[in-house]
Amino acid sequence: MTENNLLSLIIFAPLAGAVINWLVGGKLKNETFSGLVACGAIAVSTIVAFMLAFGIGTPHAGALYADKPVLDHIWTWISVGGFRADFALGMDRLSGIYALFVTFVGLLIHIFATGYMHGDKGFYRFFAYLNLFMFAMLTLVLADNFLLMFVGWEGVGLCSYLLIGYYLKRDEAREAAKKAFVMNRIGDWGVLMAIFLIFTLTGSISFFDKVVDGEQVQSVFTFVTQNMSADPFTWGAIFAGGLTSVAVLLFIGATGKSAQIPLLTWLPDAMAGPTPVSALIHAATMVTAGVYLVVRANAIYQFAPTAMWIVAVIGAATALFAATIAIAQNDIKKVLAYSTVSQLGFMFLAAGVGAFVVAIFHVMTHAFFKALLFLGSGSVIHGMHHEQDMRRMGNLKKYMPVTFFTMAMGWLAICGIPIWAGFFSKDEILYRTFAADNYFPVSDFPGNKVLWAVATLTAVLTAIYMTRMMIMTFWGKERFHEPLPEEGHLLDAASAEEHAFAHGEGHGHEEAHAAAADDDDEHHHELPPDFKPHESPWVMTVPLIILAFLSTVGGLVGIPYAMSSLVGAGEVNVFEHTLDPVIAKKGEHDGHSAPSASGENEVKHFYASAPAVPGAYDPHSPEVIQKERLLALLSVVLALAGIGIGFALFRNNPLRKMPKILEQKWKVDEFYNGYIVDPLTSLSREGLWKGFDLGFIDGIVNGIGSFVKELGDIARRVQVGFVRSYAAVIMLGAIVVLGYFIYYGFKLVN
Amino acid sequence: MNGGGPRSPSYIMDLIAENILTILILLPVVGALAVLGHQIFWKQESQLKWVTFAITLLNFLLSLVLVFDKGAVSASGFHFEKNVPWISAINTNYHVGVDGLSLWLVILTTFIMPIAVISTWHAVEKKATAFYIFLLLLESAMIGVFVSLDLLVFYLFFEASLIPMFFLIGVWGGKDRIYAAVKFFIFTAIGSLLMLVAIIALYFMHADATGVGTFDFVTLLNTLKLGNMTFSASAGAFLFLAFALAFSIKVPLFPFHTWLPDAHTEAPTAGSVILAAVLLKMGTYGLMRFNFTLFPDQAREFAPLFIVLAIIGIVYGALVAMVQPDVKRLVAYSSVAHMGFVILGMFSFTEWGMQGAVYQMLNHGVSTGALFLLVGFIYERRHTRMISDFGGLANVMPIYATIFVITAMSSVGLPFLNGFVGEFLIMVGMWKSTILSVTATANWNYIATMVAGTGVIFAAVYLLWMIQRVFFGKVTNDKNRGLADLSYREIGLMVPLLFLMVFMGVYPRPFLEATHSSVTEIQKRVMQRAGGEIDHAHVPGPSEEKTEAHLEIQQK
Repeated sequence: MTENNLLSLIIFAPLAGAVINWLVGGKLKNETFSGLVACGAIAVSTIVAFMLAFGIGTPHAGALYADKPVLDHIWTWISVGGFRADFALGMDRLSGIYALFVTFVGLLIHIFATGYMHGDKGFYRFFAYLNLFMFAMLTLVLADNFLLMFVGWEGVGLCSYLLIGYYLKRDEAREAAKKAFVMNRIGDWGVLMAIFLIFTLTGSISFFDKVVDGEQVQSVFTFVTQNMSADPFTWGAIFAGGLTSVAVLLFIGATGKSAQIPLLTWLPDAMAGPTPVSALIHAATMVTAGVYLVVRANAIYQFAPTAMWIVAVIGAATALFAATIAIAQNDIKKVLAYSTVSQLGFMFLAAGVGAFVVAIFHVMTHAFFKALLFLGSGSVIHGMHHEQDMRRMGNLKKYMPVTFFTMAMGWLAICGIPIWAGFFSKDEILYRTFAADNYFPVSDFPGNKVLWAVATLTAVLTAIYMTRMMIMTFWGKERFHEPLPEEGHLLDAASAEEHAFAHGEGHGHEEAHAAAADDDDEHHHELPPDFKPHESPWVMTVPLIILAFLSTVGGLVGIPYAMSSLVGAGEVNVFEHTLDPVIAKKGEHDGHSAPSASGENEVKHFYASAPAVPGAYDPHSPEVIQKERLLALLSVVLALAGIGIGFALFRNNPLRKMPKILEQKWKVDEFYNGYIVDPLTSLSREGLWKGFDLGFIDGIVNGIGSFVKELGDIARRVQVGFVRSYAAVIMLGAIVVLGYFIYYGFKLVN
Repeated sequence: MNGGGPRSPSYIMDLIAENILTILILLPVVGALAVLGHQIFWKQESQLKWVTFAITLLNFLLSLVLVFDKGAVSASGFHFEKNVPWISAINTNYHVGVDGLSLWLVILTTFIMPIAVISTWHAVEKKATAFYIFLLLLESAMIGVFVSLDLLVFYLFFEASLIPMFFLIGVWGGKDRIYAAVKFFIFTAIGSLLMLVAIIALYFMHADATGVGTFDFVTLLNTLKLGNMTFSASAGAFLFLAFALAFSIKVPLFPFHTWLPDAHTEAPTAGSVILAAVLLKMGTYGLMRFNFTLFPDQAREFAPLFIVLAIIGIVYGALVAMVQPDVKRLVAYSSVAHMGFVILGMFSFTEWGMQGAVYQMLNHGVSTGALFLLVGFIYERRHTRMISDFGGLANVMPIYATIFVITAMSSVGLPFLNGFVGEFLIMVGMWKSTILSVTATANWNYIATMVAGTGVIFAAVYLLWMIQRVFFGKVTNDKNRGLADLSYREIGLMVPLLFLMVFMGVYPRPFLEATHSSVTEIQKRVMQRAGGEIDHAHVPGPSEEKTEAHLEIQQK
């Protein structure tokens, strides 16, 4: 066990930043001060995270190389009757990687935001929230037990709520903020229940084996791998209260946080927040917390084949579903939002087929290129004076060359063009899905091939919609002053909201201008006729350049052997090698026997033959290399085809009409409102409150009251006040009741 | 140092420490007399609040003695115990004492009182003398409830707390105050009358079993523990339900909850705060103190009923809160949901659940008390509480909005704020409970927890929806444009509450450790089924047979 108290500095530095900005920054109202405090705090976190991860200047080996995690016990939070939850942090290889990219990308986004938020009245408030978010996110990542992770989990939800609703005056912002929080809460319910079940099954909630207060605490995962065996692949296992139930409950939490089906609709709405927030929270860090949770609990998932199947199917379905919507959106941030949902689907697909390391690899590369794309879009929006509708952009490459060039790097990365970061991670996901042959252990149906086909189709769609976005924004002719197409026929609520959002303000521009006097809002005003977009200042472009660099080369840490051997290099997959110890090894005590005749044994060894377990999956065998290379070639061809299709479709007709149902996002919101929210509200109002409370119970009470009062009125001669008459009635009733019960009581004892 | 003279400061300190509970009860009464006297002789109504505030603050400071000086523990496990004969004819004693269960509730009472007094600084326009007298009398009664160890004395305090609250609502309340006050009175009085019957029955049954009738809780408990007194099935059920009904109405448990929204909505702010923070706890406290220890078998038998009602209350309260047009009524319904959690935790009969329940009583007192204060602030400014009258308040009252959001988050159960720890422990307790059956097809403990857990989701829905409509967006109503943000008095009022929300959320250990031994004691008592001394009482021994036979003969 390695202890290092520096670890807590990673989380407390941003907390201190938030407090200082809130208390002092609010008084000073000085942008330089607030910006320096906020960025300085994150810089401290970043430096400490790098020190601890790589063992720079620390007495122990870096967390990324060491066998044991670096721990820091701060205090014992709850300890009741054998249940203990410490406020304690732990950095192992998994949380180390997360901490590194969260702090680093976070730092870049903070710097970017000092430029983006320049001139905003709530500058200090924004950075206080942003730092608070970093505190919560790093707590989530570095927590050494499920409950503290849940603290961070809820904390990021709160900060997300505050930051989405940052523009207080925007109606859609406050609606989106609430929606995000509530949908996250639905997921949180799953996490809470999972924690109860984990505690019941294992007697612990700790991630790591450790000694606290002289007490040996066993890790949940050690317990699971040593004392439990895999659940069978049945639907019943979901409800059996075993590991599969845990895994499914955790995944409910993951769908909330990471915007997967069915809890996906909050994330696109969350784009109502400032763009750096979208980049930081709703693309690079918070939304990947669900993936982190699944990978962290991989020991549990590997014993829960049904849950793995659900994760993979939901992931693939979400990826495709969101991609189809992304292709029809006109708001640049909405495109990126749906793209994020889609990419998160890829990550869950990877985790679901047992390629946990690859899922994290994609989390990291995605953090680079999606943060880049979001910040790029922020730069565009900044340069366009808060216009977000791509139908009014065009030819921006002429005015914003740096933004264009950097965003192009992100575009190539997400499309999966070789050497750019996205290629390696996405291709690896596709290949591992294709190779997960034993995926449906109960039938011969080649389910993994279906998932692979879905994912591949999604990859093509990704290339198409990203190309569309790039064309609409950077190529073609300038459409800065063109009126938007008439959309009055879209009468349903969500589309109207969407429409209003596209305009940047709720009720048209006149009102916006009327309110402009006391406006601290990021919204679009009618552009002056001689308007020319401008390139953003260096605080914004420098982070873009750094992220563009990372999006280009960031994938090189995880080149699979099949690729590196092409150019004669050996095993260079540092990423896989680093994270491998984090993945629980099932097969190890049992050997890697081929599926045996005995059914029970087969279940137990199910994952021994799945790719999650090294040994069964040998990246060096010639046929694997052969297959992997072929598939990689295929996906490169398809990515290029996607880009080609994108150019063919949109190069000359960037405003091509897209299918309406896609533009309306398959009407998921309407479905939820119509079939869940509205019925529940009217049931509560008409049925429970007015019907039961006011009608039934109070009816009885008032009925008795007035009946007795009638009696009283008859009996009463003297004029008494209302209260006194009631009091008299009460006394009368009381005496009767009391008399009866005293009689009964006496009978009882006498 | 030790053994100072009779007049030395340490002697006085010892004297105070020794009689601290009596002092805590009597000081507000003396204060009430002082207020009356002050008004008679000086006729300066504006100074009364200062007098009242000083008394309540002094009482709070004195009550801290309970925390820092635990005093001698009596054999029965109570601290600062005093047992003085009162009416010897019916063998009733002035018997008071405090243990882990009541300790924090007493502190909560003394803590919330000064805050409630300051909250009325400008709010009481008529009959201020009577108002402050009632407040002080209420404090006495509430403290009396939590420290009484004699059932008759407990009952008297329990009823006595009713009267000041009745008048606080009925005289200083809102538009429908008479209806609300009477409803409050009818509901709670009917429940407590039944309890009185049960108390009297217990007296006679004890006389029957041992030859001496008693109201003394500790004596009764000992007799029961030794198996010298047992209840027949019907008598036990009657006694348990009589107590339980009184307490359930007070909590209030679904479906006895409809008095609460009316009482809260009509009560003046200070009344609502005290009602939510302390009065409701008398119900949950009573269940745990008396029902669980005196009637453990019946408690187990009826537990499924209470668990079901608690869960209905959690979901029902939340759903109804969601559609309330009035902020105060919304908070009142949220109380129904939160108190449902407390009941749920208690009836899980696990250490986690019961510790969580006790902790949640305090949390609810702090957070919901704070919410009512906040609603009071805005009501004083706008004389309306309808959600539709507001909108965009965060733009005009940023400090108010911030504090409101933090308080709401504590009520929602956000981790690292107090509500989370209590709710979490309660749900762990229910999850691990053995009180509901585990059948081949379903584990009802899990299902109960899962349904109760949805309350956590709904809490976010109703509070955030309300916050969204009240605070965010543009200022839509011109009357809200010129609203002043919180004054220093109002901020000062909230700061201790906010501090507690955070402190109790991140460092619950001192609270939980103080309640640990008392709560586990009760938990062991209520779960003692087979084995142990209580078990012998269940195997029909000679004494029990005799009693049963005796009872049967008598009933014929």
